[in-house]
Amino acid sequence: MTGGLTLGGLTAGYGRRRVLEGIDAGPIPPGSLVALIGCNGAGKSTLLKALAGLVAAAGAAALDSYDLLAMTPARRVRLTGYLPQTLPQGSVLVAYEAVTSALRAARPDLPAAEAERRVQAVFDRLGLEPLALRRLTELSGGQRQRIGLAQAMVRRPRLLLLDEPTSALDLRWQLNVLESVRSLADRDGCIALLAMHDINLALRFCDRTLVLGGGRLLADGPPAALDGALLRRAFGIDGRVETCSRGYRIALADRALDEGAWPDTEGNAS
Amino acid sequence: MTETMTATPLARRYRRFVFRRVIVLALLAAGLVLSFLADAATGPSALPVAAVLHGLLDPGSLDRSTSVILWSIRLPAAAMAVVVGACLALAGAEMQTVLHNPLASPFTLGLSNAATFGASLAIVLELSVLGLGPSVMVPASAFACAMAATLVIQGLARTQGAGPDTVVLFGIAMVFVMNALLWLVQYVASADALQQIVFWTMGSLARATWEKVGIVALVLAVCLPLSLRDVWALTALRGGEEHARSFGIPVRRLRLLVLLRVSLLAGAAVAFVGTVGFIGLVGPHIARLALGEDHRFFLPGAALAGALVLSLASIAAKSLVPGLLLPVGIVTALVGVPLFMALILSQRRGT
Repeated sequence: MTGGLTLGGLTAGYGRRRVLEGIDAGPIPPGSLVALIGCNGAGKSTLLKALAGLVAAAGAAALDSYDLLAMTPARRVRLTGYLPQTLPQGSVLVAYEAVTSALRAARPDLPAAEAERRVQAVFDRLGLEPLALRRLTELSGGQRQRIGLAQAMVRRPRLLLLDEPTSALDLRWQLNVLESVRSLADRDGCIALLAMHDINLALRFCDRTLVLGGGRLLADGPPAALDGALLRRAFGIDGRVETCSRGYRIALADRALDEGAWPDTEGNAS
Repeated sequence: MTETMTATPLARRYRRFVFRRVIVLALLAAGLVLSFLADAATGPSALPVAAVLHGLLDPGSLDRSTSVILWSIRLPAAAMAVVVGACLALAGAEMQTVLHNPLASPFTLGLSNAATFGASLAIVLELSVLGLGPSVMVPASAFACAMAATLVIQGLARTQGAGPDTVVLFGIAMVFVMNALLWLVQYVASADALQQIVFWTMGSLARATWEKVGIVALVLAVCLPLSLRDVWALTALRGGEEHARSFGIPVRRLRLLVLLRVSLLAGAAVAFVGTVGFIGLVGPHIARLALGEDHRFFLPGAALAGALVLSLASIAAKSLVPGLLLPVGIVTALVGVPLFMALILSQRRGT
């Protein structure tokens, strides 16, 4: 199989501190939405940053026929779109300029007219047209997060790396954003890796879940495989996954385990 | 123009938005031309704007003494105000972007202090190399010290990962070091040298010659295209450093490169005119208020705004106190602040 994303023994860290230890994830086929799940400090963000080239990483990460880790930043940004956890900062840039700069700085080779078409297409797709000429300082956190998503999507990457893309969004926009990412993956066959704290959104929209804990991969499987035992290992809670009247699977957290009963506390990654 | 046939409402709205910015740039440029002419017309002996225009278009039409006043005194000083203002404001604009700091100016890194120290050293020691007198050695020494200070900061910042806070901290340290050295020089200086140092520090356009204007203009001509080449990366940086890095922009390298450009621009400007630091702060802010932060408009806008403010200051320096030419460094803030405040207040009402 040539298409898709394969991780082999991926390690990453900051300076001498290792945060990720040997992550293996078999071929993730094109068009997949993959949820990264785990407690604070499990290594979700670090995995995304490693693939985006923002932290030092070793091992293997193959996307289609490319070796991601061996690529220069300039080449890698043609394949990947990364949405950081932090929101775009408030400046007097208008949203349209912020998104345009995300494309033109990464793709100086694109003709201006083509760049303009792509920027307009992403505003249309994410329903951001009303915000296009508003300054970033005037936008709410959720609106800025959607501008950040547009910045990641405007290069039409093969691999979208989204760090908590719905953390600042209200219920309506959580659904909206995940539906746009879903339809992008279905239509263009790109892969999206989403670090998510809302497990129910992950269960609803994703094809696959990678559960991280202490910098290691605890589980890799379909959302249906997530159960109480895995919640216990990953988050240190008594929890359960039940099916609601609409047929969606819903995770419920009942009780936090005592410190001693859960060895996999945050910070073990180091 | 098949483009416009298929243009979406968003494309049309953005085009109108860009058009307004082009108009603002054009207005700034027009204001600068008027100010330049008025600057050339202002001075101890009256020279009407019409005569200035005549003299510019047909140099032979003026009588000899008027021609000398215009071409050897007024025009070099007026041109110097324009190029120095543009240099300082362009430097300030880039600096504010790469350091994520609206208070940054070329002088945040101790550049002006280093230049002042260099100039003072040349004045006190009466430096002369190869028979070159103080008119060459003072600016040369000022420039050399400004560049040396920058290189030290560059070297230190590079070892620490070149983060914006690191650069600012080293810059502030440099300000104190250079001030201490300057005081040392002033302490041992003779009364005559001390007076020269103080006068130099206040900044003056009266020393301008065509050669000096040419050198500063050359630096600007080299740096401006390099700045414009980075407009998208700089614009992207305004959305946040982490975001910019995720677009593949080598932010640290960009920051060091910009600092080098800034020190060239500011070093050249300060060497010939002295300290007129306020321009580097206010020029970018005027441009930001009027044009936003798309660096395609922001950088040229800042350069034009800086040139305009210094040109207006030059007029004010000659006309505030009749019969007395004030150092332009004193007047800059007095002229710039009201302009700046008016802009801020008008923006407040607009939103």
